[in-house]
This record gives sequence, structure tokens and C-alpha cells, in this order.
Amino acid sequence: MDPGALMAAMGPHPASSFQPAVAGEEGYTDAEVMLRVKAGDESAFDYLVQKYRRPLVSFMYRMARNTAAAEDLAQEVFLRVYRSRQTYEASAKFTTWLYRIATNLAVNHARDTRHERPEVTVSLDEPDEETGTTLDVPDSKSTAEEFLVRRERMLAIRAKVEALPERQKLAVIMHKYQQMDYKQIADVLKLSESATKSLLFRAYETLREQLKEFV
Amino acid sequence: MMPDLASGLMEVTPEIRGHLAGCVACAGKMEEFRQTMALLDEWKAPEPSPYFDVRLQARLREEMAKPQAGWLTWFRRPVLAAALTVLLGLGVGLFFTKGGGRYGSADNVVAVIDSTEPGTAVGDLQALEKNHDLYADFDLLDDLEVQHDVVANP
Ligand SMILES: [Zn+2]
Repeated sequence: MDPGALMAAMGPHPASSFQPAVAGEEGYTDAEVMLRVKAGDESAFDYLVQKYRRPLVSFMYRMARNTAAAEDLAQEVFLRVYRSRQTYEASAKFTTWLYRIATNLAVNHARDTRHERPEVTVSLDEPDEETGTTLDVPDSKSTAEEFLVRRERMLAIRAKVEALPERQKLAVIMHKYQQMDYKQIADVLKLSESATKSLLFRAYETLREQLKEFV
Repeated sequence: MMPDLASGLMEVTPEIRGHLAGCVACAGKMEEFRQTMALLDEWKAPEPSPYFDVRLQARLREEMAKPQAGWLTWFRRPVLAAALTVLLGLGVGLFFTKGGGRYGSADNVVAVIDSTEPGTAVGDLQALEKNHDLYADFDLLDDLEVQHDVVANP
């Protein structure tokens, strides 16, 4: 392995020589791409990083208690993928493997930091979706109130999801925010599909009940 | 499943539609789920920061600079073998005392090493070097713990 070549391929805006196939075309599955990483194809790894950096950061953001930790954990997932390339076997879907690594890291992190106060972040400069305005400098009483209500609601949603039992929380995050189907979630959590369904149903029932006051 | 129906993940068949039209209880619950799912949508995740890729590259570069040999060969290096033995002992000890399978903090390890090296300049340098090796091995041990579980192919 030539580190120089790999770093070149890993540049901020790499001119990747690896051309991933569009879904449905005759091309490569992620598992096949991973086999190319195993064979020493640096651009193949870059392709996987580009494809999964955003989903992994958002997954970790919802699992971890702050943004910095989320990025750190997402990087750790990629490092572990890279580290274990030699032993990788395409026996399961790549995403199952990826999310299993991510899940283990996230759960361990949550257990290690469960006594820490969660970071309270509600983006101040995020444009309001309805008005398109930014709420960082509330210029009127109603805007300020609107912001506070929104903030409180967001914190409540987050707190209710976080308060779910661990597996329910994982299932909801994968289902609701990572758009994974029952089969994928079941594979990651090593559960049956029906067990996953009932896990999710219980979680959504709880959320429906507990978020009633905010709708 | 109702949350799926409510968030449009599942198609509302004519049969379901028919039932909802005639059943107040189900229609009400369906509406509540719709609102719950919409509420959950408000929890947005941030994009990866500009530092994400830079940091990841740096960590990968570090990773690639490491020797490619498998971890077993590390035991053939006497200093590291000794250091690893200390660490493994600590790890096992902590595993049983704490019952959580967690390894000790770096501070614990440093304290152990320092106590074996009196405060001479040479001793300090040796301790530093050993500590450096120990820090390098934390990842390694972490991997050992994880290998069977996290990284192993499903
Ligand atoms: Zn009904």
C-alpha cells in the first residue's frame, strides 16, 4: 500500500478514478467496492467515505450527545472499516456491517458518557423553514417567542427519543432518520423482522403518547 | 404499520382507506401518528463540518503509517511485549474489579510505569518512551476487544 497514493485519492476534492455504478446498472455493490478496497484500490475507499460520511455523521449526531463527538465517532467507523479491509468478506450487506460497527461504537460511547450533560444545540442561524428568515437576532417579540417554542419542542423531541430504551432508540433512528427498512434494521440489531417491527411500534407508541403536548 | 402509513412509507390501500373512513378510533390514531412523525422530522442533523474530512484524512494517514503486520508479531518485540503484559494485566484486573470490561485510563498506566522507573533522567526518558509505546497500543487493545464483536463479519 502506497500511503502517498491513497492520500492523494483521499484529498478534499479527489478526482476519483473509481466510477461507481448507478443503482440498477450493471456495476458494483458496496460489498464489491469493499472487496476492491481489500485489493488495494484507494479510490474505492474514497467512494465509500463520500457515500457514507453524511449518513454516518447524522446517525452519530442523534446517538451521541454532541456534534464534535458525532464527527469523531463517524471517523472512527471509517477507520475501523479501513483497518479491517483485509479480513472483510462480502458475506453480508456492506451497510449492515457498517451500521453494526457504528452501532457498537455509538452504544459504547453513550454508556461511557451517560453522566455527562448533553450539549444543547439548536441552530440559531438556521433559516426558519416557513418564513425563510433567520432567527439569530430576534427583532420582534413574536419572533423571539416563536424561536423559544421551536427550541423547546426540538429539545423535547430529542429528550423523548433519547429516553427510549437503547434498542428502541437505535431502531427509531435507523428507521426514521436513516430511512432503513425493517430487514436492514433487523440485520444490524440481529433481530427477526417481526421483533424489529414490534420494537419500532412500541417506540412510536411511546413517542406518540409523550409528544402529544407538542403537536 | 400505522407509523409507516402515517409518514407515507407504506401505501394506503383502498382497503385501509375504507376502514379509516368508517372507524373513528383508527382515523384518530392515524392522525396522531401523522403528527408525531411530522414532529420527529423537526429534529435535524447537521452536515459534516469542514473539519470532518481534514481530520479524517489525518487519522487515515496515521493509520496507514502504522506497520501492516498483524498484532501477533508485536508480541515478538520484547519491550512492547512487557508493556502489553502490564496493560493486559491491568485490563483483566479492571475487568474483574469493575465488571465492565473497560480498560484503565492512561493515568493509571503511567503511574504503574513511573513507579518502576526511579526519577533519574534516563529513567524518565525510558518511562517516556514506554509510555509512548503504551499510548500507541491503546488502539491495538481496543481493536482486540472489538475484533470479535464489532468488526467481525456478520
Ligand atoms: Zn379501526
